[in-house]
Amino acid sequence: MSRHSTPAPARSTDLQQKGTQMTTPVHAPVSTGTGQVLVSARGLQKSFHDRAILKNVDFDMRIGDITVIIGKSGSGKSTLLRALAGLTDPDDGVITFDGKTVFADKKRTKDWGAVSSEVGMVFQAYTLWPHMNVLDNMTLAPRKTRGMAASEARDRAEAALDEVGMKHHILSRSTQLSGGERQRVAIARALMMKPKLILCDEITSALDPPVAAEVLDVLRRLKEEDGIAVALVTHDMAFASKAADRVVFFHNGEIAVNTTPEMAFENCDNPDLQKFVDAVRF
Amino acid sequence: MNGYIFDWDVVGRALPSMIQGLGVTLQITVITIVISMILAIPVAVGRMSKIEVIRWTAQGYIEIFRCTPLLVQLFWIFYALPALTGVTLPGYASAVIALTANLTAFMAETYRSGFQSVPVEQVEAGRMLQLSRFQQLRYIIVPQAMRQQLPVILSLNISLFKDTALVSTIAVADLMFISNTISAQNYRALEIFTLAAFIYFAIAFPVSLITSAIERRMQNTSGPGFKPGPSLLARMMPGTKVAATKVAAS
Repeated sequence: MSRHSTPAPARSTDLQQKGTQMTTPVHAPVSTGTGQVLVSARGLQKSFHDRAILKNVDFDMRIGDITVIIGKSGSGKSTLLRALAGLTDPDDGVITFDGKTVFADKKRTKDWGAVSSEVGMVFQAYTLWPHMNVLDNMTLAPRKTRGMAASEARDRAEAALDEVGMKHHILSRSTQLSGGERQRVAIARALMMKPKLILCDEITSALDPPVAAEVLDVLRRLKEEDGIAVALVTHDMAFASKAADRVVFFHNGEIAVNTTPEMAFENCDNPDLQKFVDAVRF
Repeated sequence: MNGYIFDWDVVGRALPSMIQGLGVTLQITVITIVISMILAIPVAVGRMSKIEVIRWTAQGYIEIFRCTPLLVQLFWIFYALPALTGVTLPGYASAVIALTANLTAFMAETYRSGFQSVPVEQVEAGRMLQLSRFQQLRYIIVPQAMRQQLPVILSLNISLFKDTALVSTIAVADLMFISNTISAQNYRALEIFTLAAFIYFAIAFPVSLITSAIERRMQNTSGPGFKPGPSLLARMMPGTKVAATKVAAS
């Protein structure tokens, strides 16, 4: 946890529920982290071709929390992740990271560059660069962007791969790895930049359940041992119920429910969430 | 054969001069390919630019050279450009400029298609790891696009090698020009042009085989668990069916 030295201002709207459908009781956050807010988004709006994808979204993530984001396709969950990653700019709203405002007044602030390296992202597919081996995949960015020596980069790559149980594949070509192995290496590659937040966009959707479980185990370990916050878009309700500290349910571009897994899956009276969970479970 | 007697002596006598001509042909080919492969990168990037002026300029260039005959381009640079600029270029320089301008247009479109075939997630992964736009292009996009488009690039290069024969029309002493000159002197068109065709074929065919082999290799190396299969030579032979050896995904 020592990496998260800057206390972020606590936000009072962590457990907001929006709209008329919001009937789920509000509970205090269950967090293994310090409780400090790492990422905070307020009033995020994003439209594509006049279709509102994010409608005034307020969202907080705490240090060391796993936040699982669920919802139907097109509900806005991946767009939120991309906005936090800086891959797409919101039309409006404010994003604060580790106490620094990085997006406001419809543009990135000067602090954006400094904190963007603290956010890692793992994608659903095509995660590794296929023309490189695992080591090159891991060390390219540290060497080229931070001027790290090859030997130091290799040492760090070995440590990161060890963390995800893939050290023995350091010289394998990425095309020789299975889907689950690629995702674990992709997570390790993100770790090379020492992120405080890892965003995962449906990273297990193309994997068999046992392989997906291995990948999710890795994320859980990162949270527990390194205090890394993880935001995970997934349809894996088993994982969401076991490992998530927070479950955020997106519906029509809004956060309809933001609560604990127990509340979301067992005591939720939000009809849209109930319908969604039932549909995904069976 | 219409009673025609093939004179092998003519072939023997013409061969040294024709080999000299081949030297010029290969020189023009190599210079053109090297320059085009470099120039095509900015043109392809310009073709994908978000800035309209750049995009339209790049596209205009590509379309002009794709949609007019190479011979017209060659004549325009050799005969028309001096009228416009007052500068007369030697045939060799005109040939290199025209062929380069033409190949660059085709190569740029090939690159663009290759660039766009790289999954956007891979580029975004580079962005997330703080790689600059240039670094993304240099380390992620171009190597994959080149690999993806290598068969097309090699095919374009084979076509260029054959198209250099057109430079004989502006008195550049390439293989075709020498062949034509010898044939006009000894009236042995069959021997000379058969030999010329054989020389062109002897150069282009191996490259064509390599192109096929690379294409087959690329088809077989996609997907998890790939293990290198038989040698390149085995894969080069036309019609060879080589199944990739896969290992079970763990």
